[in-house]
Amino acid sequence: MSLPSACLCTLAAALIIGTAAAAKGSLHLFANGEALAREGFIAPALTRDGWELRFDHVFVTLAGVSALQTDPPYDAHAGDKPRATDTVVFDAIDQMTIDLTDTDAQGRVMLATAPAPAGHYNAVVWSVVPAQSGDWAGQSMVLVGTATRDGASVDFTLTSDATHDYTCGEYVGDARNGFVTAGSDAALELTFHLDHLFGRLDKEDADPMNIHALGFDAFAAGGTHQMTLTGLHIGHVGEGHCAVSHR
Amino acid sequence: MLSAIVKPLIAALLLAGPAAAHGAFVDMGTTEAVAIQARYDTGALMAGAQVSVFAPDNPAQPWLTGMTDADGRFVFVPGDRAGQWAVQVRQAGHGAMGYVTVGTDGAAITVTASRTGLSWAQRLLMVASVVWGCIGTALYFRRLRPAEPA
Repeated sequence: MSLPSACLCTLAAALIIGTAAAAKGSLHLFANGEALAREGFIAPALTRDGWELRFDHVFVTLAGVSALQTDPPYDAHAGDKPRATDTVVFDAIDQMTIDLTDTDAQGRVMLATAPAPAGHYNAVVWSVVPAQSGDWAGQSMVLVGTATRDGASVDFTLTSDATHDYTCGEYVGDARNGFVTAGSDAALELTFHLDHLFGRLDKEDADPMNIHALGFDAFAAGGTHQMTLTGLHIGHVGEGHCAVSHR
Repeated sequence: MLSAIVKPLIAALLLAGPAAAHGAFVDMGTTEAVAIQARYDTGALMAGAQVSVFAPDNPAQPWLTGMTDADGRFVFVPGDRAGQWAVQVRQAGHGAMGYVTVGTDGAAITVTASRTGLSWAQRLLMVASVVWGCIGTALYFRRLRPAEPA
């Protein structure tokens, strides 16, 4: 092989390797409090103890968010440590306080976009942490709104200073998400199920969610209250489950 | 002109097809299948739940959709497509994924199963198991003879 040919081959190989290494797309991350955050607990979906809730704000402070490709797929039920083959860290969410009532047209809150190697992101790790600054410094969740039952209304502010660490499996929803291919985008979602806080009157009393939920009676006097969220599974990925620990 | 000839010909063939049949055949055999059973963590079966099966070569689009039976069961035949199959079961805000890896080793199909998932409110357990039948495809085939026309 002549020297020019060898150079051309080397150059071609470098280009191929470079292209493979650059086989990246983008991963968009959203948060979603679903209709219960945006529209509130409205009949028939009242709280388990019959309150209508409407929220002015649902503040959540997020940190430590990563999307993972796991093999085998992470089993949140087992709760083991996920075996990641690739990890995308969302550095932009070092500490981010969002309002789940302040959404885009699809009802979601855009959190961040990060370059991501191609593959299926079938697990997400994230935390809800006390805010380090701002009006609600020290609180990880703050719900502000109005509760109504039997014609009487009270304004409330419910706070939590707990840290929740979530390790979630694959997003479960109308479409299977998280597939990044070279040059294409994919989306993942952190989903907050507020009915795990307040329960649902349109579900059976024996439903485990209603058994464990706080309900609203404890806050019926209105004003500011601290919530204890230990044991509650608020964070999900769509309908998919997350293992959670509270600190 | 051509259309005037072809269209009636197609219509005649379509009409003639069923009328030309004199009997029916049923080919029977055995194969390997994947069976799932979906439950809530309360133990209640997910009867009539929406099922989507995703094949390894096109994991973003459902390869098959269906519904669990009264016992929360759903069965599908993955065929010889090796790789990780995913099964999603959803019902009224509850959802979970299950995964089955199908590998080919000559005529044999080896399957390993995993499960994952908790529902929106409750834990949903989906067990992916395998109907271990005969190894290979269709160990026997039997053609039922058509009944003599009356």
